Amino acid sequence: MNPSTDPWVWLAAFLTLCIFSFLYKDNILYRFAEHLFVGVSAGYLVALTWHNQIYPNLIVPLFIEGNILYIIPLAFALCYFTRFVPRFNHMIRLPIAFLLGWGSGVAIPAFFQRDILRQTQGTLLVREAFSKWDSGLWAIVILIGVISTLIYFFFSRERKGVIKPVANLGVIFIMLGFGASFGYTVMARISLLIGRLQFLLGEWLGIIQ
Amino acid sequence: MKLFESLTKIPRRIIFLTIAFAVAIPLIIPIGIPVNVMPQSKKLFDAVEDLTSDSKPVLISCDFDPQSLPELYPMLLAVMRQCFSKNVKVILMALWPQGTGMVEMGLEELSQEFEKEYGVDYVFLGYKFGVAAVLLGMGENIRGVFPVDYYGNPLDSLRLMGSTRNYNDISLIVTLSTGDPGWRQWLLFAQSRYGARLGVGVTAVSAADVYPYVETDQVTGLLAGMKGASEYETLVQRKGYAEGIFRASQGMDAQSLGHLLIMIFIILGNVGYFYTRRKK
Repeated sequence: MNPSTDPWVWLAAFLTLCIFSFLYKDNILYRFAEHLFVGVSAGYLVALTWHNQIYPNLIVPLFIEGNILYIIPLAFALCYFTRFVPRFNHMIRLPIAFLLGWGSGVAIPAFFQRDILRQTQGTLLVREAFSKWDSGLWAIVILIGVISTLIYFFFSRERKGVIKPVANLGVIFIMLGFGASFGYTVMARISLLIGRLQFLLGEWLGIIQ
Repeated sequence: MKLFESLTKIPRRIIFLTIAFAVAIPLIIPIGIPVNVMPQSKKLFDAVEDLTSDSKPVLISCDFDPQSLPELYPMLLAVMRQCFSKNVKVILMALWPQGTGMVEMGLEELSQEFEKEYGVDYVFLGYKFGVAAVLLGMGENIRGVFPVDYYGNPLDSLRLMGSTRNYNDISLIVTLSTGDPGWRQWLLFAQSRYGARLGVGVTAVSAADVYPYVETDQVTGLLAGMKGASEYETLVQRKGYAEGIFRASQGMDAQSLGHLLIMIFIILGNVGYFYTRRKK
């Protein structure tokens, strides 16, 4: 055992234990660590946004290089602050309308490409998929899974006849998906615990390398 | 039987304590459960492996914060070790403010292993807010989004950035992502719109969502959580790019025992539940 002599490591270990104390019950140490984290993160974000974004992307081009066009984004940004002035607070709609319009125009075609076109292509039984027996088998399973799941979410017809067993098969695929997601979630949570224990047992107490 | 009834009422503090022991003990006394490399991890490794010192740089985006450090930070180190060992140029950036801290920590750790020159072998662009504008802007001209790097140097003063204008000048983008903004936006804007080649490393929670895109080759390789990180570490170690004890690989014994214990608790809970229900 070789405990750290770095006071920052001790502080980090103390804050970790404060957070872990919530597992017993809610307490003042947990709330202290939680509020400290939120405050530090917010302060860090403000400082970083100023130094990495506002200064090089707005202040320098507008006020140092004299590029007058940058007044437009500055004016749009200032419109957000009209929210605090009741007489002018309608002006906040300008940047929001711009962002919504621009964002939708940019995102919708890309969404369509990413989630509809390419994903539909991925379910097609093309010749290359059958170059190996296992990839061919999985291609068929994916096709059946996609169709049965889509039929499960097809609410325009009563679930009877041929639709019923296919929809029930869709439920099995959905449950398999939920199971995989849950398994991965457990893995993620255990990983977080491992990370903290590696820090406590390694960097803090020096029990492990 | 009271025993079966008590199985449904195990105090949560007992469960927490048991899991803590199950995770801590293998860290202190390693078991050495072997790591099997999954094809999607190998795919990302091979994509970097195919690059040479003359290739266009790799862009690594650290879209995570310290909460995801155990899963994603080992991926960052492993990918950078591979790139630095092969003399592949690296551009680093972050879509999460705390990601900048992760990058600086990684660069400091690797500076002891590799003698790489800033601006020639690697560049750190820093963090920018507004993911859509950032990623779309980078597709046209990286300088428009990042006029200066994280340390305030104009991009034109950095040799590595001299020939790097947009995604066309980047051989592979690797996003290490814990949520939004992250891999979804890189896929939406950089891959779908500009055709950039994208590798993804995610926390295990998000892994199931990425698989459909790996199947369709929209994503070139996937590292899923700590397991994915340990697989990449194993591949990097096998190639001789690094040696020693790696964080993710060290944690895999604990991961396996933790899972085993949770499975046991799930089975016990179900046995107790079905027994008490049958009694009613």
